[in-house]
Amino acid sequence: MNVATVVGTEFSGGVHPQGKKELTADSPIQSGPAVKRAVVMLSQHTGAICKPTVTEGTIVQAGQLIGDSDAFISAPVHSPIEGRVTEIALQSHPVLGRAPAVIIEPHASIPVRKPRPQAQRFFQADTGLNDYTQHQICQAVRKAGIVGMGGAGFPTSVKIEPNPRLPKHTMIINGCECEPYITCDYRIMLEWTHQLITGIKLAQKASACDKVYIGIEDNKPEAIKVLNETLQNTPACKDIEVVTVKTKYPQGGERQLIKAVLNRFVPTGGIPPTIGLIVLNVATVAAIADAVVCGSPLTHRVVTVTGEAIANPGNYYVAVGTPISELIDFCGGVTQKSAKVVVGGPMMGIAIADLSIPVTKTTNAVTVLTKEQIGRAKFARRQTACIHCGRCLQVCPERLNPTKISHAVKKNRLDIAQDYFITACTECGCCSYICPANIELTGYIRTGKIYLARQKKLIPQ
Amino acid sequence: MLSKLTVSCAPHIGGPFSTRRVMVDVIIALAPAMLAACYFFHAYALILLPTCVLSCVITEYLCNLLRRNEKPLESLGDFSAVITGIILAMSLPPAIPFWAVIIGSAVSIAIGKMVFGGLGSNIFNPAMVGRAFLTASFGMLMTTWTVPATIDKTMPQVSAASPDAITQATPLGHSKQAIKQAKAPDKTAASQAQLVNSQLKNLFVGSTSGCLGETSKLALLLGGIYLLIRQVINWRIPFAVLLSAFVFASIPWLINPSRYISPIAHLTTGGILLCAFFIATDPVTAPLTGKGAWIFGAGVGAITILIRVVGEYPEGVMYAVLLMNSVTPLIDRLCKLTPVGGKPNV
Repeated sequence: MNVATVVGTEFSGGVHPQGKKELTADSPIQSGPAVKRAVVMLSQHTGAICKPTVTEGTIVQAGQLIGDSDAFISAPVHSPIEGRVTEIALQSHPVLGRAPAVIIEPHASIPVRKPRPQAQRFFQADTGLNDYTQHQICQAVRKAGIVGMGGAGFPTSVKIEPNPRLPKHTMIINGCECEPYITCDYRIMLEWTHQLITGIKLAQKASACDKVYIGIEDNKPEAIKVLNETLQNTPACKDIEVVTVKTKYPQGGERQLIKAVLNRFVPTGGIPPTIGLIVLNVATVAAIADAVVCGSPLTHRVVTVTGEAIANPGNYYVAVGTPISELIDFCGGVTQKSAKVVVGGPMMGIAIADLSIPVTKTTNAVTVLTKEQIGRAKFARRQTACIHCGRCLQVCPERLNPTKISHAVKKNRLDIAQDYFITACTECGCCSYICPANIELTGYIRTGKIYLARQKKLIPQ
Repeated sequence: MLSKLTVSCAPHIGGPFSTRRVMVDVIIALAPAMLAACYFFHAYALILLPTCVLSCVITEYLCNLLRRNEKPLESLGDFSAVITGIILAMSLPPAIPFWAVIIGSAVSIAIGKMVFGGLGSNIFNPAMVGRAFLTASFGMLMTTWTVPATIDKTMPQVSAASPDAITQATPLGHSKQAIKQAKAPDKTAASQAQLVNSQLKNLFVGSTSGCLGETSKLALLLGGIYLLIRQVINWRIPFAVLLSAFVFASIPWLINPSRYISPIAHLTTGGILLCAFFIATDPVTAPLTGKGAWIFGAGVGAITILIRVVGEYPEGVMYAVLLMNSVTPLIDRLCKLTPVGGKPNV
């Protein structure tokens, strides 16, 4: 029984933005708003966009399949509520611009789904891992449409399915939550501990990993304590170990987390399975337990609604498909000083102008920032000349040369950008954050990557 | 109610750094050396420093007007012209006439910086460009060294034939004389080198002749430590400059300690400390990568000592910096970083 605090190594680079977690860290997970009009995107994940399996006018039940795809890398989507499909149309999407969505209007009086108070009790006992075979777990995860809920949205079934070509031996559970402001994973670790551990055991069984590490930043001592205690008191958890890692952005990036926990490097251009690892987010693992044990698809998730411009910041259990405007109104609206609405955290989130954009499976937070928080110069986007100070090189966790790459992209020299490994960039935003000249280095690098993908005809013009 | 929303790419928050803050930190770090200059050279410093700074700032403003910059005052806000002015003033002989200073400042900013496109685009350190121009044009003025008001009278004149009440050879001038007279069976050579070696304390405090800001090593060290603590400069460059200068200065000294000044004396004379902390570390003209910074600093130190020991000039900091500036792009290309995950298998 391992209770000693294991401390991880440190990845090179990184920045220390203000955490701002205190806004919502002590706010327990509460029920979200009653949806007036659910906009369920047919693409909420990496991979093929789903085809709708319902038509306009169909009456759907909560949890009913509404979109699916035959492609290997894809995940089905389900209706979060009971109601009628009013429309299948293009809607604003935070990443894709416009994407197809199924719009469902609820029947007059349906109760809001509670954040499963029974779940804690349910997972309390030994959940009987032997009841489920490896195949059953994988099937349940696939059917529930679970995707990586930390942001990337990679279908989880593809990750945990045994692959004879890339056998996996170690699983890392990502509880770092290094993005400022966001606390949803922290609350899950505190409140849904048993469900989380059940999910870990299930995912471990499905992927046949020998060893599991839970990586948590050292600014969350409560979560580390609770998890260590629970692991100690739960039988058959000897192979799960909590690793305390340094509080530093982007500690929760999977490549950085692997370095910190195992002191190993994922090859550039490679993915963790190439060295036998899987990294799963805390929220994803909790969803696996939900799907396998309760059979409920991924239709709700915990979203941190936060920021200095939100009246009542907190963590809410929200139906996927809830428009962000409804969510913001539910939290008491925003104050006069709001300047930017960001889906996700301030480092990697996406600023949106259209608040009808819905919550998706990967929306971990909605952050409403004020001008003061953004910073006056950054707000005005007053970029000055690069003085070659080299700070972006120092903070780059992938040890790239952001200034060289972005200059190359600016001059349309993608060959030079590739020479300096533009594709190895994880877009964590450290370079833009630190730049004294306010240059949007990450923005230029993203642009360069899009140009490259177009050149290779990977995405349409 | 929502006010107007901004949309831009991530990240949406910025760090506490700004170009202006970096420059202000450098000015703060230069303050001890400026005070020391005022203490040792009195009125000279009080005339030279403001003249240089003002003419640099005005030149930048005029260049902005010439370039039809819509906001000609905006680029002055980053204070980089002020720093160029201070560093130029500190690297000039105290008694240089003010008209020469104005010409030097104008060349620094106009030819050294603005013709390349302003801050961030220049290849050479602007202050060193201005100084090189003055050295080439007014050699006499640039080698007339005023005695500090607090001079130690034990420092002898270079030559008894030209007794001059207010000027005196720099310690490096003595060193050069010692080297040049090495072939003659003359005891003065050895004594001149020994003299410099014996004056380490005065050299360190600043009670010696030399350029305005370079004499007080104590003040420069204080400023340098401030910059290192604030992480404004790349620490590798000053370390590499001083280490390489020390190593290369040791070689002749170990061969013949009576003819050559000691490596410690080399580090406490001339502009090597000013260069190590304030000139070579100019981010615009120094390499980006850590390895590149080591190579760059080592090159500056080595060339400085090479010029001091073998070359014609007594001091070599300026040309060392300019030469290494010119190879900075090559160093950057040579020292390409490898991503943490290794090179991708393409």
